Parts: sequence; C-alpha cells; structure tokens
Amino acid sequence: MIEFRDVHKWFGDLHVLKGIRLHVDPGEVLVVCGPSGSGKSTLIRTINRLEPIQKGELIVDGMKVHDPRTPMTKLRAEIGFVFQQFNLYPHMTALENVTLAPIKVRRIPRREAEELGKEVLAKVGLADKLHQYPAQLSGGQQQRVAIARGLCMRPKIMLFDEPTSALDPEMINEVLEVMRALAHEGMTMIVVTHEMGFAREVAHRVAFMDYGELIEIAPPEEFFARPRSERTRHFLSKILTH
Amino acid sequence: MLETFNFRVILEYLPLYGSCLLATLWLSGAGLAGSLAVGCAACALRTSRFRLLSLPAAAYIESIRSTPLLAQLYFLYFGLPSLGVPVTETTVGILALTLNSGAYMAEIIRGGIQSIAPGQIEAAISSGLSYLQRMRAIVLPQAIGITLPPMLGQAIVLVKDSALLSLISLMELTRAGQILTSERFMPAEGFLTSAVFYLLIYYALKTLTVWSRKRLIYLHTG
Amino acid sequence: MWGVYLEQLLQSLPFFLKGLWMTIAVSGLSLVAGTAVGFLWGIVRSSRSGVPKALIGAWVDVIRGTPFLVQIFILFFILPEFGVHLEAFPAAVIALSNLAACFICEIVSAGIESVPHGQREAAVASGLNGYQQLRHVILPQALRVMLPPLVGQYVLLIKDSSVVSAIGVVDVTRVGWLTVQRIPQGILVFGLVGLLYFAICYPLIQLSNSLEKRLGRSSRR
Repeated sequence: MIEFRDVHKWFGDLHVLKGIRLHVDPGEVLVVCGPSGSGKSTLIRTINRLEPIQKGELIVDGMKVHDPRTPMTKLRAEIGFVFQQFNLYPHMTALENVTLAPIKVRRIPRREAEELGKEVLAKVGLADKLHQYPAQLSGGQQQRVAIARGLCMRPKIMLFDEPTSALDPEMINEVLEVMRALAHEGMTMIVVTHEMGFAREVAHRVAFMDYGELIEIAPPEEFFARPRSERTRHFLSKILTH
Repeated sequence: MLETFNFRVILEYLPLYGSCLLATLWLSGAGLAGSLAVGCAACALRTSRFRLLSLPAAAYIESIRSTPLLAQLYFLYFGLPSLGVPVTETTVGILALTLNSGAYMAEIIRGGIQSIAPGQIEAAISSGLSYLQRMRAIVLPQAIGITLPPMLGQAIVLVKDSALLSLISLMELTRAGQILTSERFMPAEGFLTSAVFYLLIYYALKTLTVWSRKRLIYLHTG
Repeated sequence: MWGVYLEQLLQSLPFFLKGLWMTIAVSGLSLVAGTAVGFLWGIVRSSRSGVPKALIGAWVDVIRGTPFLVQIFILFFILPEFGVHLEAFPAAVIALSNLAACFICEIVSAGIESVPHGQREAAVASGLNGYQQLRHVILPQALRVMLPPLVGQYVLLIKDSSVVSAIGVVDVTRVGWLTVQRIPQGILVFGLVGLLYFAICYPLIQLSNSLEKRLGRSSRR
C-alpha cells in the first residue's frame, strides 16, 4: 500500500530523511516513534506530499508520489491526515468541517454528505456536537472531529501526526479509543506518537527513527522486549520511565 | 516615450525642483511637528475623565477623520479671511496639515498607550513606582516604541498630503510640475519629475519604518 | 449679513446635492472596481509566483509613494500626449480605482497571510484544489481580519475623491469652491461641504470600529 524506496529529503542543507526504505501492507498499523527532530513527522508528511521528496521513490496506492507529474488531489482524497494541532476550520461547525471535502472533492450531494458526516461524527462519539464550532469544543473533541474529517472521505489510509501531543492528559484516552476502534476495523494506519501503550496494544509493527534514519522496525513484542539497537534502547529507557 | 521625453528641460528646471523639494520637506516637517503637539494634547483631553474636556476633543478628532483634507484646507483658506483673520497661504497650509494630521496622531498615541498590557502597570505599581515614575519608566518607553512605526506612516501621509497645498498656490513639488506644464506645456516632464522626488522621500521614510519595526520588535512579541 | 448668505446658500442646496451625488458616483464606482482588482492583486501577492507578484509589489509602492493629486494630473494631462483623450470623470474613476486597488491589495494579502499555515495544510491534505482552498478555507477566515480595514479604506476612498475636483469633476468639494466665489463666506460654504462628507463618512467609520470590536473578539474565541 505504501512503499518507500531509498527516500531522501533535505530542508536546505539539513538532511532530514536519509534513505528511508519501508513497506506498509494494506490493513497494517504502523507506529513510528523517535526523539523530536528525528524526521518522523516529515516521514508521514511526504506520503501525501505535504513535503515533497528530493530523491528516491515513494509509491502510495499504486501512485508515484515522487513524480511531480502525479496529480496529488486525487490521491490526497484517499488519505486521511490528522494533525497535532487539529487544524479544524474555525469558521465552520463540526458537521461543516467534515462534509466540506466530500462535497467539494468527492462531489457527493450535500444531503448525502451530511448523512455521512452525522454517521461518522456519531462513530467518534460526537453525535451531539454536530453544530458546535471548534472553539466550543474541548481539545479531545476537536481532535475527534479532525479524525472524523479524515474518515468522511472513506480513505484507504489514515495518517496521524502526533495526534495526542497537544492534548491535556485527561483527553488523550478518548482520542486513542477512536484510533483503536479504527485499527480493529482494518484501516491502514501510520501513527507518529509517543503513546507506547497504544503501540504495544494496537500496532502490528513499531518503527524507531533517529537523525533521519529508520533505525529499527519490528513487531511490538519484539520491539519492546528485545530492541536491537543501542539508540532504541536508550530512547525507550527515557520514554518508558515517565 | 523616452525619445520624446525632454531631459534638458528637467535639467533647466532642476533648481526650481530643488527649492520645491525643500519646501515640501519644510511644509510637511512643520505639519509633523505641529501635529505631534496637537495630537498629544488632543489625546490627553480625549482620555480625560471630564466630559467637558473629552467631548470637544472627540468632536475635533471625529470631524477631522470624517472629512477630506482638501475640504478642511478650503475651509481655512476661504474661511479665515471671511472672519477677518489675515493669514498667508503658508500659514493656512501648515495649519491645515497640523489640524488634519493632529487628529490621526491623537488616535495613534491613544492606541499606543492602550496597547500596553495592564500587567505592566500592575507590576510597576506593586514595585512601588509613583504615577510619574510609572509613566517615565514603563509606559512612555513602550508607547513610543509601539507608536513609532505608525507615526512614520503618518509622516509619509503628510508628505503626500502637502501636495494639496499646490491648489492654494503654495510653492512645493506638485506646484513645480504645474509650472513646467503651464510655462512649457510639458506635463509629462513636469509631473513625472515631481513623482520621482516624492518617491525618493517615500522610500527613505519606508526604509526608516522597516528599520524601526526591526529595532522595536521585542515590544511587539512581549 | 450672515442671514443673507445663509439664504443664498440654502438656495444653492440643490447644486450641493448634485455635487454630493457626483462624489458618491465617483467613489462608488471606484469602490467596486478597486475592490475587485484589489482582491485579485492581493491573492496574487500572497502567492508564491514570482514575476507578477514582484510587479504588483512595485506598482503598489509607486502608487503609495506619490500623492494622489500628482497621479491624477499625470493621468489627465499626460495621456492626451499619447493620443488618449479622457474626460475628467472616467479619468477620476480610473485613478481612484487604481489607488483603492493598491491599498486593498495590501489589506487582502495581509488578511490571507494572517490565516495559520495549518489551515492550508489541512485543506491540501483533504484533497481540495487551489481554488477550493482559497474559496472555502482561507478567504472566509481572512475576510474577518480584512473587513474592518476594508471599510476604513472605503472612508479614505470617499475622502480622497475630493481631490478629483482639481481636474474639474464637479463633486461636492468643487461645488464648494465654485460657490465660495459667489458667496464669500468660507466658513459657511465649506462648513456645509464638510457636513455632507461627515454624513457619509462618520457612519462608515463607526461601522468599521464596531466590526473591529465584534470580529476581533469572536476570532479570539
């Protein structure tokens, strides 16, 4: 479903992705962790070309993302993206937020889109917040609307960029709960997060990134019990003591 | 266009443009100085607790802001003599610029003082500073920093507004263009040369504005 | 003495109202044209594309850096040298529209830049194309920021329109100038002129202020 072949990315002189090789199967849940500045956010942002890559090949759902001629709007419609800062549209209600792209990009009739939107918002537990504006919702509720916004496009892939990092601790679980349910439905997901409990429980594989390299990738049991690299062990020891 | 453009005439009239440039600078400079004084006074009155003081100040500011400078200029130019007050064109010109710009200056100063976070004044009070000390040490330095860029913007407006003084036959840059037009029938040479001189002043003031914003950036992020 | 003049002035009131109508026509037409062009330029100016953006930036600087009186003299006196003969009215509307467009362009591009970058990213990620991003996500939010200064700009436009009296457009300022030759009471005549401008501009300034308060508060919700 997603294939990185020796992918490189530079920000000016800064080499942020150094030859990434990675393959994600349909229905797989991959958790990516690593220290800040390791390139993990950049990695998932390249998948829908929020960040273009400079070298290597990146195939997503059979489309060549590395090729500048590939029209991205169609592919982006197939990929849901959840941001750390939610990025909900403040001038639209929850329902308007989730139906904008189905109406404009998928060309679904408004009434149908609203039915779909209500259904998906109910699924993330917000059936009673349809007509609230983002500013009237808590952080956890906003992030669930953002997930619903992605889901309303009936995507093949969902990408999560530190979805719980901007949340107060008591709100993290309601968001993880939604993501857990999604994983059980068989959604292909890549999740950048430090929530190791979620990784252990839900992920099929866990990847560790550092300095723009994919250091280690393994099923969670193996990843947590027997990390092969010294850098992974060091990172885990720091993050698991909290 | 350039082949018909008569640079020789411009060269011939360059001394006139030189003196007119100085006149524009002096007229708008005088207007700037006057409007700073008027602006401070109007702002002080406007923010006064006594309505007897604040109402006239508000009326002055609002009526200036709601009418064009040209109408104000004619009001003084034709009005003062009809009241029996003998005034020269120069006096009327500077007076109009001063009164017009003063209203905007008052609003800039008020905005500057209001934009200082209340926490700043509370902090100053809790460290025991008196009213005058607070003003001198805390409020004014920040207010000047915040108001400097918009004041420079107002200076740019003043320079451009001073062009209207040509309509009451004051000698300044736009008048120089009119003279070239009427004496030599060369409006292109006349007004484009005026425009170039205005642009020189504009770019100088704009550079200063950018510089002041950069120097004072700490005030806007704090 | 004043009574006689006041009566004369009242008799010429229809003349003043005609002038007021001309002021409204010139500024109204320029407002519409200037807003349309200004939005277009502002959108280009906030984009990444190089040459048109630089050209607009340079043009805006030239217009902002020179007095409107000089601009209108250039348009009115120089174009005939190139065989383009413009009446005073169209010349006034063109010059004023261009002036408005330059200032509105700055307001629009500042408004667009005030929308957080994440908003565009979210729109991109859900597959909206460039036009849809602008139309449904960026502009509605930018409009909140733009509206108060935009109304303020319209006030400036109406006031700047007084300058077109210098090329003979018979607007309310020109009517005052003509009247004062007949009724030598500057205070009275231009007091009336000022009153007429005040009647249009003051409500607009209040509107701009209240918009600023309302939109400013709700955007910080």
